[in-house]
Amino acid sequence: MDGTRLQVLQGTYDCIVRRGMAKTTVDDIAAASGVSRASIYRLFPGGRDEVLRETVGWEMERFFLRLGAELGDAVDFAEFLERALPLARRELSEHAVLQKVLETEPDRLNALITVQQHRVIGAIAAHFLPLLVRDRDAGVVRDGVDLEQAAEYVARLCLSLIASPGRHDLGDPAEVRRLVHHELLGGLLAA
Amino acid sequence: MALVAPAPLSRPTPVDVRLRDAVLACIGRFGLAKTTVDDIAREAGCSRATLYRYFDGKPEVVQSALVAEHTRVTAVLIQEGRAARTFADAVVAVVVTAARELRGHDALQFLLTHEPEAILGHLAFGPGDRVLVAAGDAIAPAFDRWLAPEPAARAGEWLARVVRSYVLMPHPPIDFTDARAARPFLEHLVLPGLATAALHESRTP
Repeated sequence: MDGTRLQVLQGTYDCIVRRGMAKTTVDDIAAASGVSRASIYRLFPGGRDEVLRETVGWEMERFFLRLGAELGDAVDFAEFLERALPLARRELSEHAVLQKVLETEPDRLNALITVQQHRVIGAIAAHFLPLLVRDRDAGVVRDGVDLEQAAEYVARLCLSLIASPGRHDLGDPAEVRRLVHHELLGGLLAA
Repeated sequence: MALVAPAPLSRPTPVDVRLRDAVLACIGRFGLAKTTVDDIAREAGCSRATLYRYFDGKPEVVQSALVAEHTRVTAVLIQEGRAARTFADAVVAVVVTAARELRGHDALQFLLTHEPEAILGHLAFGPGDRVLVAAGDAIAPAFDRWLAPEPAARAGEWLARVVRSYVLMPHPPIDFTDARAARPFLEHLVLPGLATAALHESRTP
């Protein structure tokens, strides 16, 4: 990524931490990032809204990159998910900036996160695909499964679970195992 | 001279129903923020005064419309599920019907496109938890020919997640309003997991 663009995103993130999204202006971003207003508008023609949107998307991507790095490898996809779900849920609930903004300005943030979801879904699915390929090569996956479609499905539903677990307690290993082996992978795993 | 019986009076739609329909029509045209009490009253064919006899204001009309829509759609989904031949058919019917209801809903689509903050805050994170659990509980009866209440609610919540992710969000890879496209996806990826998660108990004699 272009260095200046990265500076703007980081500066915007810092502003959000300090003053929240509603109070972050382009002037604040310029001051925090050391990038001129003119350059900011050149990089983000949509102005403040676009910068905020892109910053949310950027941090979402970074969140999942950090998660992936922390998770490392696993014996198979099922084991990976059994570790990933509780960890992701914990990290999300301990994400200071996210929790703060959710508390103070949830509507706007939720709209942005939802709109940016497709970015992280693609990244998460791309991370899952090699694990699925490996499982298929090991004979663990049912014949005829469209692995890309499956990876996206699991990515979407995992994202849904960690953001809103609903009736599922992701801190309970038995519940997580049940989710992984039934709802998430039931259609994929060979009998 | 033959007496001609008067034509039977058609029962007028109750005012509160007209107002609820009206607020949805207005939101579909102008969005939530720009819809005024005058707009709603005019669309419903009544006066402001009449509107205020039934509702305290715009938010209350909107709330009432939401509850009514929820009741209506839930009833449709339950009916579709119960009319199906098999659990698989029920799952497909519920998902496809839900997708069509959401896609064809002018007010919802306007908000998703132009005022996402009005809606999405209620569907994500904490509020999302409540919506998902409630959705699962609400449509559980759709599967009561095949599943006990708790597994049915669990399946209902899972399908609500699937619909929320694939229908409400931008860039869906599958068109769930199209039964032919949706069926293979649901039967291969979604159904097996639901079936094994549930306690298998046929409720029909």
